[in-house]
Amino acid sequence: MQEAASSAAGLAAYRNTAENAVYAGPAHNSGNLMDEVRKYRKIDAHEHVGLSGTLEDQLKMADKLGIETLVISRPIVVQTEAETTPEKFRQGNDLVGKSIRQHPDRYLGLFYVNPIYGKESLEEIRRCVDQGMVGLKVYNQVKINNPLFYPIIERLIDLRMVILVHSHCGIGVGGKRTKYGNIQPNVSIPEDFVEIAIRYPEAMFLYAHLGGGGDWEYACKAMADYPNIYADTSGSNNEGGLVDYAVRYLGADRLVFGTDGSYYQGVGTLLASRLTEAEKKKIFFENFNRILRKSGNHVH
Amino acid sequence: MFIDINAGVGHWPFRQTPGNTCEALLHRMDQYRVDLSVVSNLHGIFYKDTQAANEELYEQIRSHRRFRDRLVLFAAINPLYAGWKRDLKICRTGFGAVGIRLYPAYHDYGLSDPCCLELVRTARDHGMPVAFPLRMVDSRARSWMDVSKEWNLKEFIPLIREVPDARFLLLNVPAGFPLKEEEEKVLREHQVLLDTSGRNISDLGRWIKKLGTEKFALGTHTPLLDYVTGLLRIESLLPDEADETARQLLRSGNAKRFLGL
Repeated sequence: MQEAASSAAGLAAYRNTAENAVYAGPAHNSGNLMDEVRKYRKIDAHEHVGLSGTLEDQLKMADKLGIETLVISRPIVVQTEAETTPEKFRQGNDLVGKSIRQHPDRYLGLFYVNPIYGKESLEEIRRCVDQGMVGLKVYNQVKINNPLFYPIIERLIDLRMVILVHSHCGIGVGGKRTKYGNIQPNVSIPEDFVEIAIRYPEAMFLYAHLGGGGDWEYACKAMADYPNIYADTSGSNNEGGLVDYAVRYLGADRLVFGTDGSYYQGVGTLLASRLTEAEKKKIFFENFNRILRKSGNHVH
Repeated sequence: MFIDINAGVGHWPFRQTPGNTCEALLHRMDQYRVDLSVVSNLHGIFYKDTQAANEELYEQIRSHRRFRDRLVLFAAINPLYAGWKRDLKICRTGFGAVGIRLYPAYHDYGLSDPCCLELVRTARDHGMPVAFPLRMVDSRARSWMDVSKEWNLKEFIPLIREVPDARFLLLNVPAGFPLKEEEEKVLREHQVLLDTSGRNISDLGRWIKKLGTEKFALGTHTPLLDYVTGLLRIESLLPDEADETARQLLRSGNAKRFLGL
């Protein structure tokens, strides 16, 4: 069971700060926000290639904001789950591999598979690991707690690699009392993460984009007690207090920095949080690097 | 110097928003060296009588000199509600409101409705800019009790054409770029100022090239959005995207000019 975030002291500290509403973060004595930005090493745990723009555009933006490492994948966005064929996910992974080879000092790669094609997925994982990729990214073809995923998760456990899972958490948006209205039928919701995290406590699941438009408060509360569920901060919805709230429930060790293409929001929302400098360092860099270290793929 | 043209105080009824008081706002401003903030009371969205929210904020601001010196009141006005003209006059002449904030989606009227046009024209006649947050929160993550409507920039083009000599602050822009050339022309050629808080300002360098440096100003949309992202969009601009003169316009110059400060 996760302990720090739900401790009485942690909760009291959060409440005290929230109610007094005074931010204890450092004043920018230099008067230069960019000094604060550059102070933190950063691994962007949630990025893509092949969806829009060029690698050069992406790296220019990363340079602006001091993001030294981008963990990239190429999700396959199609109408039905079976359309994500082995041929398509191999092509996407080839693009990731090519990007890494072009900029080995900037990119780390996540491979992409579709568990409907179990044999081909396991073969693809072997191929991608041989190319130096560092984990798995999955989208919305199959829920993460579907038994089709079991052999893939078991392979990732053996590899000691993370599984970044696209998520959805739209509470009430489909109408009053509609818990998950109007969503892709096979997208993974927090309860799916909890179920699979219990089944495989040694696996590392990364809940994608807390700021991606879902109900991040609900997600954090639902996943609070499961230490092998991490969450990334990416997404365009940089709501005030998101990071502080996530740390309250998940703890500062289970949150990782990400952008998913929303670079300003990713950096801004973490800098704006009331966390200590040490906690920000963890989330910007150290937490994901600790995950990478388990498979020997960490950044030096 | 920094001026934030999009700040709020007050409770948001659907989630806790730390930092939603004048005191906390001032602390944030000090932390990031923001000199002035244009502020409205979020309660003005939810009270049927928005004037009660304006009174609350006015009382808070006048209670301390440090608030009076650094917080610029924008009044929440609902043109469908009785007495709005009197409220506007009190806010303008008694409370020192510099401009007004409108919430058509929450107050249930359209941008082309006669009530909206009348209010915008009235504000224009008094030299007051009119601010429209295009959304308050991301509709994907909203409460089931919240409105689902998000405006986009295109929807404001007819209103700008209809009242071409009014001054428009378009805040927290979630969508609308890219615009057609004739729509961009409307924004360029009229008194329109966009803040830097919105999701759609994904590449400020590109947009100041298209619309002009004078069309953007610092906005945070605090406390509903984080305090830093709107500022970061300006401060991270590269020298070939904005020279020091352009940065100063984005940080405060455009806001000063637009608000007559």
